[in-house]
Amino acid sequence: MNHSSNEKEPETIEPLRYLSKTEVATVETELLRDYRFGQQQLIEMWGHACAIAITKAFPLSSLSKKQPTLLVVCGPEQNGSIGLVCARHLRMFEYEPTIFYPKRSPQSLYQDFTVQCEKMDIPFLSYLPTEVQLLNDAYNLVIDAILGPETDHKEVKEPYAGMLVTLKQVKIPIVSVDVPSGWDVDEPAKDGINPEVLISLTAPKKCAAGFSGKHFLAGRFLPYDIQKKYELNLPEFPGTECVIEL
Amino acid sequence: MSRHYNSLGFSMAGFHGCPPGSGGVLSISCCYRAIDLNIDKLANRCFSQVNVGRACARVASNIYSKDLAHRQACTMANTIKYLGQEEAQHIDEELFNEYSFSVDQLMELAGLSCATAVSKGYPLQSLLKSPPRVLVICGPGNNGGDGLVCARHLKLFGYEPSVLYPKRPNKQLFQNLTTQCEKMDISFLTEMPEADVVDEVYNLVVDAIFGFSFKGAVREPFGDILSQLKKITVPIASVDIPSGWDVEKGCPDGIQPDMLISLTAPKKAANHFKGRYHFLGGRFVPSALEKKYQLNLPQYPGTDCVYQLN
Repeated sequence: MNHSSNEKEPETIEPLRYLSKTEVATVETELLRDYRFGQQQLIEMWGHACAIAITKAFPLSSLSKKQPTLLVVCGPEQNGSIGLVCARHLRMFEYEPTIFYPKRSPQSLYQDFTVQCEKMDIPFLSYLPTEVQLLNDAYNLVIDAILGPETDHKEVKEPYAGMLVTLKQVKIPIVSVDVPSGWDVDEPAKDGINPEVLISLTAPKKCAAGFSGKHFLAGRFLPYDIQKKYELNLPEFPGTECVIEL
Repeated sequence: MSRHYNSLGFSMAGFHGCPPGSGGVLSISCCYRAIDLNIDKLANRCFSQVNVGRACARVASNIYSKDLAHRQACTMANTIKYLGQEEAQHIDEELFNEYSFSVDQLMELAGLSCATAVSKGYPLQSLLKSPPRVLVICGPGNNGGDGLVCARHLKLFGYEPSVLYPKRPNKQLFQNLTTQCEKMDISFLTEMPEADVVDEVYNLVVDAIFGFSFKGAVREPFGDILSQLKKITVPIASVDIPSGWDVEKGCPDGIQPDMLISLTAPKKAANHFKGRYHFLGGRFVPSALEKKYQLNLPQYPGTDCVYQLN
């Protein structure tokens, strides 16, 4: 405890920064190019932290259905791969994920994640039923890992546009990974999907500023230099936790 | 994909329509497979979609409950397996070749486990010296890589790690991990401090020199480093294998660590471990692999990435 500066006001906690789409891209480029983090490494850390956040939002004991089933819907890019890693860790945490991953990424970097899930005996659906009652009945919640901050929300192609229509109608909770799919990174979508829980990765995005559901920050690896440079003012993670509720 | 379903032993023979509301194992397995084929076929056979939904959950839970029952049976009946060197190497190879894990991924999880174990055994508030300095000694292979990841996470947890990394492999992964540490303001020492300096400056030493592939003679500068480590009084936390020990037989006059963090599964050398803390880390073993080698891994608490074995 520093008692030498008694005249100072108690340190005001600077507000958490919400990143814009360009800032998100810049931070990630810096992490890869300057800090030499590997893409698979980052995805592993994000997916792992995401899974932990989900166990906090929906502990096993809180799930209403007999089996702790979850549906993880994965898009074609990085957000989808994070979903795959998340599903794998949820499996290790005794949940029963089922994955829907309609457009597999051609990048070999991301293909490994698929094999890892398959080898953990995680079932993959090849069809997302449009009959919403099916989803409501079979799963406790849906994890939306379809579109991330890297996607252009204005150009949501099929099958994702259709999937989002289905997801808007489910009665079970939706947990969105990083950015609710279909939302613009910089502002919430007026008629987009409405997740109950949002798990922001590394730092929250502008569209999450007014988010009314449960909001978690997941991923504790950001070097202090970057935090300072972008004035992120991240909250202090307790102990060795990599997730914090905002 | 089909091999996945067949390996679960479900009957794929025949698909017959069932009136809505009827259950039955055959119809459940068929309709789950049919989800894979085309849901319209189901509709044509008068199978209500709601039943399909229920069937999905039931089949998925069938897949999972067999697994859970097996694991529960294992932990009740048997204790955790201690691996020989060859077995450990085979498991490692399978994780990378069959299960398609990358070294990046598993090293990150392993290093995180090590840092977590250290913070459980030696919490920040319990450290006698301030600032909370920790010396992390990294060897020339994967064990050293685990150490680099560990150092980075220790820094994030509030410790002040310094790394000694005298022999660096010429591989991108290790260069990247080194840069990640340097960019987190983790200092790299140029030489091993004398034992009395280590005792004065650091609260503990993380030994990430040699792992389960270690065989034969210890090359310099590690011989000298290990002899210093034998003289220090601050605790040593060894990553996977106490360095210098035979992976199966241990080493009566080798270093005597206070903590051992076994990764994936403990090796036979751990039978000779006499320190206070034995942790299991590396929570990434798929249950099929666990079953194949009869590892009998314990159930990690909640989302923890470490399990205290003693």
